[in-house]
Amino acid sequence: MSATRSLATTGRGVPAAAAASSTDVPRRLSPTAERSGGRLALLLTQVRCELVSNMRVPEFLIGVVAIPVMLFAMFGVPNARFELPDGTRISTMMMPGFGAFGLLSLVIFAFGVDIAAERGRGWLRLMRATPAPGWAYFGGKLVTSLVVASVTLLALFAVGAFAAQVEMTPARWLRMFFVLLLGGMSLAPLGFALGFLARPRAASTIGNLVFLPLSFASGFFFPLNQLPQFLRDIAPYLPTYHYGQLAWRVTASPEMVEAYTGIAPGPAWVHVAWLLGTFVAFAALAVLGYRRQRSREAA
Amino acid sequence: MMIEMRGVTKRYGDVRALDGIDLDVAPGEVVAVLGPNGAGKTTAISVMLGLTRPTSGTVRCFGGDPARFEARSRVGVMLQESGVPAALRVCEVVGLFQRYYPYTLPLDELLARADLTVKRDAPVSTLSGGQRQRLYFALAIAGDPDLVFLDEPTVALDVSARRAFWEQVEGFAELGKTVLFSTHYLDEADAVARRVVVVDHGRVIAEGTPREIKRLVADTTVRFHADVDLERMRALPGVQRADLEDGFVVIATNEPEALLRRLFADGVAVRDLRVTDSDLEAAFVHLTNRGVHGAASGAQGSGAQASGARRVQA
Repeated sequence: MSATRSLATTGRGVPAAAAASSTDVPRRLSPTAERSGGRLALLLTQVRCELVSNMRVPEFLIGVVAIPVMLFAMFGVPNARFELPDGTRISTMMMPGFGAFGLLSLVIFAFGVDIAAERGRGWLRLMRATPAPGWAYFGGKLVTSLVVASVTLLALFAVGAFAAQVEMTPARWLRMFFVLLLGGMSLAPLGFALGFLARPRAASTIGNLVFLPLSFASGFFFPLNQLPQFLRDIAPYLPTYHYGQLAWRVTASPEMVEAYTGIAPGPAWVHVAWLLGTFVAFAALAVLGYRRQRSREAA
Repeated sequence: MMIEMRGVTKRYGDVRALDGIDLDVAPGEVVAVLGPNGAGKTTAISVMLGLTRPTSGTVRCFGGDPARFEARSRVGVMLQESGVPAALRVCEVVGLFQRYYPYTLPLDELLARADLTVKRDAPVSTLSGGQRQRLYFALAIAGDPDLVFLDEPTVALDVSARRAFWEQVEGFAELGKTVLFSTHYLDEADAVARRVVVVDHGRVIAEGTPREIKRLVADTTVRFHADVDLERMRALPGVQRADLEDGFVVIATNEPEALLRRLFADGVAVRDLRVTDSDLEAAFVHLTNRGVHGAASGAQGSGAQASGARRVQA
């Protein structure tokens, strides 16, 4: 009874009886068959495919690389001549804002909209019929995003250093890079959740509805003290606001961050806790969405 | 057994997509699952792949759970509607799928077996419908599978593309591989498969060699106005059905020549004569009805199975 019942379900657990007889038909390899590569080869191939796929779709790179860099060049460079009381240039404060904006759009589009599209086209279902492990797909997306994010940040930093008179010690540049990168990846589950919960056709619209208001209300484009009061009131409840605060703290003292944004930053651990909480909450939501998708297909 | 299905049912609300399917596929077989749209072919393949959970019944692939790694490693599949990332080149997509499996075939051989050698560096988005299907076939055989599932692989292809496609499939089957494909073209099942399983309303309604199935299914419909004895018509060789519909005599047969010869020899005044290919839907309705009534005429059933399926003996 138990053997037949569990055979009727997909996935979890192969009954002992079934496992014992699973080799009752010998493998019939073709004369030319060869061993495939290992896990690393799989991950690298997946990443390479994702990367070339992205590079051949200019809209994608324009959206997540060119737009944040261009916006920073347009608004940051002219603001290089303004300074905070301690001499920190306004352009220096604007750079992390546009970096955060770029990475937010990356996780929303590379994870959310892309996954929704591949899900909608049936590509994920075909992948699932292969023995490829689930991590290959997600790992491929994650590594690819890290590469694209690095390109975005390096291009942004180049504009900052050579055009917008951003001056920092090498250690601070490095810290800025990793704070923006890791903070951005902590928002990745937001994209995954969107990818598995949104209807494929609606994902792009929802993505825009999420990331533009979030960027605006978190002070990525304009300092928060130039925004309407109600936005300033809700900002501290947005995970992206905490992302921004962490990045600004790399460039200036808490007093100067307050002078620029209009809101005093909390201790770093508060912002980190917000990002971790967001990561966990949306990762759970993404897993739920992933499971729902699978059980819908299997139902 | 490559596949063993026992009493598999699948319900979606009140709809019974599968209504008690029993099916065995032995190593080296080339099996066609033939049936009209909505017969349950795709659901059946999904269940065999372990992508869809049956409501009741059991399915085994290589003697165990079809979703386990050992089974997936030995199975290749072409699903309907699986959009490949359009920006990738043919060799890149195939190269990716080669990595998904523990064993693979050389890239050049995969491309040759799918007749895509000249399209090696073409972006997927530039492929024609037939080339795209052959790309999916290359993906299906990328893991050198023992068992290949093809779910209506030729549905949107023209005749020549269909022929070219089946040549590639037969080439792969010659390696001793097992192939199970679904189709709603009887001629395709006839040309490619060595065994045909006819499915309708989620049940196996007939099973046999292509020849046996063709004898069961009347492939031609003859319609005319005339005063004839329907009972006599029914007794003619090859005639499956003779009825009056809207004043027309409608005869389903697979030997239309014999029927017409008899009509003219008898001097019957035939008006408004029309001879058309039966659509498969009509042929299946016919088969299903006979399954229910159990009135076998073309072939003698070897006893109805519990599921209502009839095994055909030549």
